[in-house]
Amino acid sequence: MLLITGSDVRGLPVVTVRGGEDVAQVRDIIYQAQAGRLQGFTLNKRGFFSGRLSEVLAAEQIHAIGQDAVMILDEDKLRAPEEAPKGVGDPEGGRDVIGNDVLTEGGKSLGEIKDVVLLVGGHGDVVGYQIKRPTGEDAYIPLPSQLAVSGTSLVVPDATEEFARDDLVGLGAAVDEFRTKLGLG
Amino acid sequence: MNDRFTAVKGRKAVSRDTAEPVGNISHLLVDATSKRIAALVIGKGRRARIVDWERLSGLGADAVMVEAEDALREPADEREQAGADGKLELLGQLALLESGTELGRIDDVVFDPDTGHLQTLQVGTGEHPASSLLGAGTYAVVLAATGSGKSAP
Repeated sequence: MLLITGSDVRGLPVVTVRGGEDVAQVRDIIYQAQAGRLQGFTLNKRGFFSGRLSEVLAAEQIHAIGQDAVMILDEDKLRAPEEAPKGVGDPEGGRDVIGNDVLTEGGKSLGEIKDVVLLVGGHGDVVGYQIKRPTGEDAYIPLPSQLAVSGTSLVVPDATEEFARDDLVGLGAAVDEFRTKLGLG
Repeated sequence: MNDRFTAVKGRKAVSRDTAEPVGNISHLLVDATSKRIAALVIGKGRRARIVDWERLSGLGADAVMVEAEDALREPADEREQAGADGKLELLGQLALLESGTELGRIDDVVFDPDTGHLQTLQVGTGEHPASSLLGAGTYAVVLAATGSGKSAP
């Protein structure tokens, strides 16, 4: 499985499958930590310094998130915030996981969340987090489908620690093993 | 016999009615839905004119025969204007899989000069059947992930 971080996705062009046109670019990720799922993207106009686009892109309207582009079928998949699903048009504040402390159920801190890790080719499945370990270096941890998150801390199973990896390629394999171990398939 | 975009570009266009040259082919415009050549662009810049595929009397190896000089028309809408300006040019265009992964640039397009039907799109050493063409615009040519490239011999 091919993975990318949220910061790799920011700035990607949003391209129509049927039109071959770059209609927007990703400004930021709207993420719902409790569900472990992307809600959608806020958008910029294409090009440098071209400013914010009022429309948003809901996760269910995404054709595929790729390494080089976010694909949508047609331009009408971009919606005004008031027409978009609630979590996208009006994201709840205060539950941003970036900067949260990752705590195991046993009470050990694995580090601080730096970014989300997404599955390439999918519709916005968040499969892990990029973290900064207490010792300072970066690591990647897989994510079970359900977890507790408070806005300051994220609680993960104890087994998460042994599946932490130093790079995204390692995490790709670890995600499957981790979910199998937890009985999540 | 098949023809290719790289060979057709620059080919002279001649009026069948008057036998007068009317310009040279600068671009070929495709319709991604029917996977055919929709029109040709003759000339460049502000003098660029569109000829619909239906107004050709023949696309030959030495000349593109246009029914009559009145077959050359001004771009009718925004998309045709983009085509006349070369912004929809397939050659050199970014080839993007529908999964959002870049394949490279389109090096050539093989088509049937009798019908205008596209046959294959060449991206580097990969050949993609025209059936995998999903969309063609000013940013990219989008190809179906399933039809992805067998390598050319």
